[in-house]
Amino acid sequence: MDELDLLKQDWKKQEESLPKLSYNDIYKMLWKKSSSIVKWIFVISILEFVFWGILNILLADGEYWERLEHLHLTEFTIGVYIITYGVTFYFIYRFYRNYREISALDDAKTLMKKILSIRKTVKLYIGYIIISTIVTSIIYSGFYIYYHGLDTQADHPEQYNFTLTQWLIFGGVMIIGLALFTGLIWLFYRIVYGILLKRLYKNYKELRKLEL
Amino acid sequence: MSVDKELEHQFITNLEKHQNIAHKICRIYTNDKDAHQDLFQEITIQLWKAYPKFRGDSKFSTWMYRVALNTAITLYRKKKREIKTQDFDTVNFKIKAEEYNDEIEQQISLLYAAIRELNDIEKALVFLYLEEKNYKEISETLGITEVNARVKMNRVKTKLKSILNP
Repeated sequence: MDELDLLKQDWKKQEESLPKLSYNDIYKMLWKKSSSIVKWIFVISILEFVFWGILNILLADGEYWERLEHLHLTEFTIGVYIITYGVTFYFIYRFYRNYREISALDDAKTLMKKILSIRKTVKLYIGYIIISTIVTSIIYSGFYIYYHGLDTQADHPEQYNFTLTQWLIFGGVMIIGLALFTGLIWLFYRIVYGILLKRLYKNYKELRKLEL
Repeated sequence: MSVDKELEHQFITNLEKHQNIAHKICRIYTNDKDAHQDLFQEITIQLWKAYPKFRGDSKFSTWMYRVALNTAITLYRKKKREIKTQDFDTVNFKIKAEEYNDEIEQQISLLYAAIRELNDIEKALVFLYLEEKNYKEISETLGITEVNARVKMNRVKTKLKSILNP
C-alpha cells in the first residue's frame, strides 16, 4: 500500500473534525465582499483610467491652452487628445471584455490563461502610456525650442547661443528626466502587478510545464 | 418566495450539505484558523457568483469541486498575516491517537507535513486523489491531459515517499 492510500483512510476520518457552518453562517457570507485578484485587477485598471483622465483635465486649464497657442501647438494637442481618449476607451473596452469572460467554471489552466490575458492588456496599456509620453515630450520640446528662439528678441543673440557642450548637457538632462519618469511608472506597475499576480504566474507555469 | 429568494435558499441548502468539500480544500491550502475562514468565505462568494450558471444536469458537488479549487489556486488573494504554526498541528489534521499504532500515526502526521511542502498544483492533485476522483476528472478540473495527470501524480507520490524515507 502506498503512502497516499494510507492517508486516504485517515482523510475520511478527518471529516468529523471539520468545522460545521449553519445555514445562517453561510447566508451572512453571501453578502461579504470578495477579495479575488480578478476584482483587484479590475479596480486598479479603473483607477488608472480615472487617474490619467483627471490628470489630463487638470493640466489643461486656460493658461495651458494660451501657452500652446503661442507655441503653435493647439492643433497638435487636440490631435493628441483625440488619440489618447480613443486608445484609452479601446483599452477600457478590452479590460471589460476580458473581465466578463472570466469564469470560475473554467478548468484551472483556462482560468489562469484568461486572467493573464488581462495582465497582457495592462502591459500594453502601460507600454502605450510610456511610449506616447516620450514621443509627445520630444515633439513638445522641439516646438518649444524652435518657437521660443523665433519669438525672443535679444540685443546680443550670440550671447544666448548654446555651445555644443551646453546642448549636450541640455539633451542629457532631458533624457535623464524622461528615463526617471518612465522608470518610476514602470517600477510602480511592476510592484503592483508583481505582488498581485506572482502566485498565479507560478501556478500557471507549473501547469504549462506539465504539458511539455 | 420570489425567484431570487428561492435561488438563494436552494444555494445555501446545497452548500450547507456539501460544505465539507470547501473545508477540506481550506485545510490543504491554509495554515491557521483565520486563513481557513477567509478562504472558505471567498469560496462561498465565488460559488454564489457562479451559481446562476449552475445547471442541474451536473451534481452540485461536482460543480463545487471545480469552483472551490479554482478559488484556492487562482482567485484567492492570501492576506498577509503571522503564521501560527502550532495551529496547523493542533486544529487541523488532528489525529486521534487511540485509533492508530504509533508508527502509522507518526507516518500520517509526517505525510500531512509533507503535503504542506507541496506547491499549489501538487496539492490540488493530492486533494482530488484523496477525494477519490479518477484521472479523467482530475485532468478536466485542472485543464491538463489525463496522461500528464497520471505522470504528475506518480511524481508527487515519489516525492512524498522520499520525504518519508530519507
